[in-house]
Amino acid sequence: MEKKEILTSELQKEFNKCSRCGTCMAHCPLYEATGMEAFVCRGKLELLTKIEKGEIAWTDKLAEIFSTCLLCGGCHYGCPNGVSGEKIIQLARKNMVETRGLGPIKKGVFQHLLNNNGTLNKAGKLMYLSSKFKVRPLMRSLGILKLFPKNLYDLEKMVPAFPKKNFRQLMADKLPQKELSNPRYTVAYFTGCVTQLMNPQVGVAIVDLLTANNVKIILPEQGCCGMPALANGDYKNGLDLVRKNVESFQKEKVDYIITDCASCLGAWEEYPEYLQDESVKELTDKVMDINRFLIEVLDVHFEPQLADGEKPIKVTYHDPCHLKRTPGGKTCPRELLKRLAPKYEFVEMKFADSCCGSAGSFMITHYDVANKIGEKKYKAARESGANIVTSACPTCIMHLADGLQEDKNIEVKHVVELAASCLPKEQQTKIK
Amino acid sequence: MDRKHIDYFISVLGKDNVLVTEEERICYSYDGTFNRGLPDVVLMPEKTEEVAKIMKYANEIKVPVFPRGAGTGLSGGSVPQDGGIALVLSRMNQIKEISREDLLVVAGPGVVTGKLHKAVEEEGLFYPPDPASSAVCTIGGNIAENAGGPRAFKYGVTRDYVLGLEVVTPTGDIMRTGGKTVKNVTGYDLTRLLTGSEGTLGVVTEVILRLVPKPQTKSTALIAFDKLVDAARAIGSIVANGIIPVTIELMDDTTIHCVEANNKIGLPLDVEAVLLIEVDGKAEQVKSDIEDIAEICRKEGASSVEVATDKAGMDRLWKGRRAVSASVLQLGPTKISEDATIPRSQIPAMVVKLKEIAKKYDIPMPIYGHAGDGNMHPNIVADKDNPEEMARVKKATDEIFEAALALGGTLSGEHGIGLMKKDYMEMAYGKVGVDYLKAIKKAVDPNNILNPGKVF
Repeated sequence: MEKKEILTSELQKEFNKCSRCGTCMAHCPLYEATGMEAFVCRGKLELLTKIEKGEIAWTDKLAEIFSTCLLCGGCHYGCPNGVSGEKIIQLARKNMVETRGLGPIKKGVFQHLLNNNGTLNKAGKLMYLSSKFKVRPLMRSLGILKLFPKNLYDLEKMVPAFPKKNFRQLMADKLPQKELSNPRYTVAYFTGCVTQLMNPQVGVAIVDLLTANNVKIILPEQGCCGMPALANGDYKNGLDLVRKNVESFQKEKVDYIITDCASCLGAWEEYPEYLQDESVKELTDKVMDINRFLIEVLDVHFEPQLADGEKPIKVTYHDPCHLKRTPGGKTCPRELLKRLAPKYEFVEMKFADSCCGSAGSFMITHYDVANKIGEKKYKAARESGANIVTSACPTCIMHLADGLQEDKNIEVKHVVELAASCLPKEQQTKIK
Repeated sequence: MDRKHIDYFISVLGKDNVLVTEEERICYSYDGTFNRGLPDVVLMPEKTEEVAKIMKYANEIKVPVFPRGAGTGLSGGSVPQDGGIALVLSRMNQIKEISREDLLVVAGPGVVTGKLHKAVEEEGLFYPPDPASSAVCTIGGNIAENAGGPRAFKYGVTRDYVLGLEVVTPTGDIMRTGGKTVKNVTGYDLTRLLTGSEGTLGVVTEVILRLVPKPQTKSTALIAFDKLVDAARAIGSIVANGIIPVTIELMDDTTIHCVEANNKIGLPLDVEAVLLIEVDGKAEQVKSDIEDIAEICRKEGASSVEVATDKAGMDRLWKGRRAVSASVLQLGPTKISEDATIPRSQIPAMVVKLKEIAKKYDIPMPIYGHAGDGNMHPNIVADKDNPEEMARVKKATDEIFEAALALGGTLSGEHGIGLMKKDYMEMAYGKVGVDYLKAIKKAVDPNNILNPGKVF
């Protein structure tokens, strides 16, 4: 077998620094849940050494091992030698896809659905119909089911009610009404797939919050951020998505680009590196998580009052991996929640900053392991005594909602939903 | 491996605890060194009886068994040789009992040392041994290697805390040694023989560890010395004055420059050494100890002394030490951490000798580590893919061991012999000594099944 060049020279240097000391095992949610060394960074890097040398080839088993990583970055930040495990594994996946292809399911999703908002909307519509009329046979005949792996049943549980109208449809006639005469800022909103299709109320909350604070919001043409494709090693489709988003957003004159999704934020931050184009930084430097924008830029304040005899609602917060290490990523969501007192009372939960196991599409492709990782989190959420678990990443929210579905007294929401509920009634958009 | 053997193991352990694919086996072919050895099968037992069955069967089919905890060892001790069974004990990870009255903890060998620390500290108790890998390494591995760590200076090493063991013998029988009492002279002290036996004399399946009350408070000092020999001498002076700090960590100038290049912590760059000293105990004692230490160090030629008593301040002082391991890699990709250990009084002589060796073979050798107990950790930084350099490394290593032995020291303070130092065993132990070890091994493991090829 021939030798392979898989990593960039810079990453190769880091890769060579891995001494197999095993510290990553203390920081890997997968290792904690499974106790299997193939699932931890050290094991994968040993395997990668052998792939590079041409001693082993990409087998099904190897593909399964490399697909089992959350890319949470825990190993990287815990590593005494600072080896970026998540970046190395992502590039290994790229090599895997180049060598043996993507597999029909993911190929379909990345190439057709995520690449084109129109098609994705169509899928969303079908999922809505499916959840409403239980028309799985119809979907099967349309071939939609084949786009998702075997756990579709669980996926359906996870996203029980696809809304009738997606975010853009909901906003179609409302955004123009919200034109402001002299806005403080103009921001472009990168909506992300989950908010667009499954949780439009999150997007509506953001529109309400920004409008109430005299910020103009525009919705440029956009596709998926590219992360699901890139994370799975599909650089062809992933980079295509990245390029289209960059081109579209470069056309707009805005002060900031905001996102409500930690994974989209993480992807956007890497855009210059993915495109190997420093000039893109001018655009991506404008990207900011909505929580940080509300706290650091707008410094929002609320005056929610408790009615007589009404008690504060206890709320806790889960740190998404791709937000917690960004500037203000840990503090801003918490600060926002604290500013919602006395209506909401913030309580910290145990293991708030450990990975929930969702990791984008991982929770669908590896439902059981993702749930095993989540168990620690669900338990901590219950023990916190909170009635609402919040987060700032739609996939974390989906995963936590799935894990806590039996707990009828706990809701899982995006932080901005709570914030918008503290606006004066007349500033809140009602969704039918 | 023959399918019928695999089927047997599956019948004992269940399918999920028997790993046969090459891809999975590769993930158990290494430890924290550059040694490699691919096992034929990986077995992950959860019960003592399962371990016993595996050992009996291995004796029948004459296949070697290589016990493994978290695989973080630094001597190749758990790395398989010529195939065989990797026996991974990390699933036996129950903490079974914590007793405040008897001051002890009973645990499975797969309990992660750091988790044990946390569990007993929640009860107001303290398990002192703290190897650098304690966030991941296991108690079973600590016992096999007789692990130490920075706190060993004041509190001793793993051996000093093991009261009793449950062990599966190399031939597959279950045996108990020691017990729950501190005093115990019933028969030979097999607990001590097994502790540090590097997995060659038995598989530990349960441990009883002695605990002490958790110290009330601690304080840290960072002390700089213009001359490395002054720092080395100060260590002896502190002890001679009747003060036993928890840790005395030393960093030499090479190390300091590496740390500063990467981290900009603000360590002095014009000195030859800094000492990081921590004391613990009751508040007043801690305060007077740290003041006395500062005074002694100034007398011995310290150029600056910085003391921290709050957590934030202590974290800041420790930051430089914690950054060492990563920082020295700027000198080369492969780090070989030696742990030749010498009597404390010989530290100044050893330091001089190490500097000479580094210069002679033109090898970067940052010196840092647990200077307080003479466990110096000279780290050779090289490139394992450069054969010419690795040849010089070999010669330098030979001389480090010779120097340590000449000064009344030993080959290894806490990493063990494993594969990496077994060639030096006769030099350290003498032929009679090595024969004695071999006789013990042969008596309990007639088929040479358990971790063969290690230690000697």
